[in-house]
Amino acid sequence: MSLSRLRIALRSDLVKVTPSSSVVAKIWEPCTREVNTSSAQYAAVSQHNTKPDWNRAVSEAEKIVGYPTSFLSLRWVLSDEIANVALHLRKLVGSNHPLLKTAKNLIYNGKNNMQAWGLIVLLVSKAAGHSPEIPDMEQDKAAGVLHSQRALAEVTEMIRTSHLVHKGLVNMNSRRPIEEPDNMMFGNKIALLSGDYLLANSCTELANLRNQELVELMSSAVRDLAEAEFLGERDEQNNPLPSRPLPVDQREPAADWDCLTSPLPMAGVAGCARREWVARHVLAAGALLGKSCSAALKLAGHEPALQNKGYLFGCHLALAWQAFLDLEAFTGPEPTSFSLVGAPLAFTLEARPELYSYIEAGRKSVHDVDYHALYEAITAGNGIEQTKALQREHISRACDVLDSFPNCDARTALTNIIVAMHP
Amino acid sequence: MACLSSSRLCARVQDKFMCQFGHKVRRQTVFVKLKPPGPTPLRIFGKTCQRVTTCGPSCGSAGLVSSGTMRRLASSMQSTSTGSLPDYGAQIVDPYRLLEDDLNGIYEDIRAELERNTNQPELNTIATYYFDGQGKALRPMVAILMAKAVNYHVYGENSALLPSQRQVAMISEMIHSASLIHDDVIDQSDFRRGKPSVNVLWNHKKVAMAGDFILAVASMMIARLRSDEVTLVLSQVVTDLVQGEFMQLGSKETENERFAHYLTKTYRKTASLIANSVKAVALLSGADESTCELAFQYGRNVGLSFQLVDDLLDFVSSAQAMGKPTATDLKLGLATAPVLFACEKYPELNPMIMRRFQEAGDVEKAFELVHKSRGLEQTRFLARKHGLEAARLASELADSPYQKGLVVTTDLVLNRIK
Repeated sequence: MSLSRLRIALRSDLVKVTPSSSVVAKIWEPCTREVNTSSAQYAAVSQHNTKPDWNRAVSEAEKIVGYPTSFLSLRWVLSDEIANVALHLRKLVGSNHPLLKTAKNLIYNGKNNMQAWGLIVLLVSKAAGHSPEIPDMEQDKAAGVLHSQRALAEVTEMIRTSHLVHKGLVNMNSRRPIEEPDNMMFGNKIALLSGDYLLANSCTELANLRNQELVELMSSAVRDLAEAEFLGERDEQNNPLPSRPLPVDQREPAADWDCLTSPLPMAGVAGCARREWVARHVLAAGALLGKSCSAALKLAGHEPALQNKGYLFGCHLALAWQAFLDLEAFTGPEPTSFSLVGAPLAFTLEARPELYSYIEAGRKSVHDVDYHALYEAITAGNGIEQTKALQREHISRACDVLDSFPNCDARTALTNIIVAMHP
Repeated sequence: MACLSSSRLCARVQDKFMCQFGHKVRRQTVFVKLKPPGPTPLRIFGKTCQRVTTCGPSCGSAGLVSSGTMRRLASSMQSTSTGSLPDYGAQIVDPYRLLEDDLNGIYEDIRAELERNTNQPELNTIATYYFDGQGKALRPMVAILMAKAVNYHVYGENSALLPSQRQVAMISEMIHSASLIHDDVIDQSDFRRGKPSVNVLWNHKKVAMAGDFILAVASMMIARLRSDEVTLVLSQVVTDLVQGEFMQLGSKETENERFAHYLTKTYRKTASLIANSVKAVALLSGADESTCELAFQYGRNVGLSFQLVDDLLDFVSSAQAMGKPTATDLKLGLATAPVLFACEKYPELNPMIMRRFQEAGDVEKAFELVHKSRGLEQTRFLARKHGLEAARLASELADSPYQKGLVVTTDLVLNRIK
């Protein structure tokens, strides 16, 4: 690709790009523009795949930039600490500690945990290219990305995994008696240490990049993940519950998130289905993916305006992905349980606030909720349709950003990944 | 570990707060802040105290002290003394008093920084819980002291503490607290710093996240210093802390390797934070490489000395205060220096170490053997050796009140009481 062409394209885009201060705030509200132009256009790109599927899109993308995951690198497998963890994990086998499930999900790289995050960061890196001043030494020529961007992709995955592992602790402080307390305690210990190990490694990897703005940005993503676990109401195991829907006239206006390194403002979030859903998943997912994409572009020497677009791409992609996951529960046969903070339920509750009594039954444990009743309510209303619209919007915004990248294999791969989750 | 914790858990379920009296808590140490009552008590101490060069439990010169404050110190020194304060003549300095202005408000500043970084009230509550000013602020104190001593060393009398150096002091306390919060979940402690520990009060998942949050905010503060070197030095601390915890999990090493393993673990879990934060302030001061290395070595020795005394107090101060053996480390299955030394005389401790004192009667038996052996003396001796080395390193810096403060700190660390 020609870099000068990219530059020109960027410069012409600069005119349209709103100053960084308000760009981010736009994640809150529905966009007015009709969705479809760009997504339809992209759908055409992958038409030769009769049915675009996530796994194929991902494995083809991996061929383009190489494997991004730290879990596959020898360094990871050979590390002493991890060998130790594996030994201790064996003691836990047969118990019900959630760490086992987390570990299984990491190993069996299923599509539900979006282990493709490092991959997305690398694809964005490759799609955007890098400044010609960067010395050859610092490039991974075969993959078309910088070594520093590859390190960053690892950091992204380590931070995300660390968060998942810490999220999987068992609260021993609950009023309900804990089954197998010894196993749970031991599992907690291992989970906490393993997560800390990943976090510590990501600190070191980031420090080695010798770019302090980047360290600050990525650290703020760790902070956002921690904040995510405190948003809204929780049961005793810290499983999230939606807030009671507020009537429209009682809602505060939403505040802009004008600086990414500041914490996400919470004004007007609780009780407003859409904003609460966005805030929750921006903190839990969008911030990390968005900030990682933005950081990848920073490493390549791109201007702040493009870095900001990188943020928006990652953030909208994560939200589109989340909406896709929320919808999955309603595509097949009725599941025994589903996310109580998914968009379909959020929209349904907003339309029928009296259903909130079902949620209140889950204050102690989300298992006490009557999922069947809620399922019926969701499928009877138009929460699913609204969620699909929500997903299309985020897809379309992610695709808008892709337009600013030159056409290349990495951009096509990103497009295919997006198309694979199109509603 | 696991079976022990379950009994403690049961105790807690029955009555969450009664157990505060039953369980003594690790690291709940209080510094002798050599402050009023009495005008400049340290000076009296300095004058009357003899320099004692021998070591061992009999070397405390506590009997010579008459001041009321000193009596408090003296009573502890009879059992925990690791030697007495050297004679500084009239120039003796109390580091906490010397740094009063710089340390003032440090906890408030940390709380403000954390509060700025979250819009979730409960996260703010948990994260700021241990920054209530009740801690002894050893790490910030040593960091600021070193910063001022090195600034004086490099720039002479008119040097001031840099804002970035004060930030490092805050960061060191934040990293320390983040690790305490995670330790509390791991060890299921009940009580810390005179109040219920975080894991007793809040959901454990949230507590873990609050630890991550403090670390993230500290990392952001580090990044804002915009120094590649300082970021690298401080990121090493986090890695060391975690590796130290991992070392504490396994005891697969042989008897010969055990002591080296213990010392490495002690460096990683305690000394690395102090060593690397004083190195960071030296780097920020613009000092040359050898001065930065000197700062690092000073911090490393002070840190090792600090932890050795901590491990010693776990055997001594509890017996004194509670009237019964409550060695916390043994109960957690950890063999610290006193046990490892005692092992030389009483090899029957070896199998107990291997099974992490899990069989009935192990803790009591090991406790008794440690007291019968010279393990406590030898631990004292080692702590003192590191203290003296730190003092020697500090004396290589240009003469200043802060440089003297660094020397005095090595004694504070050695002579503290529980």
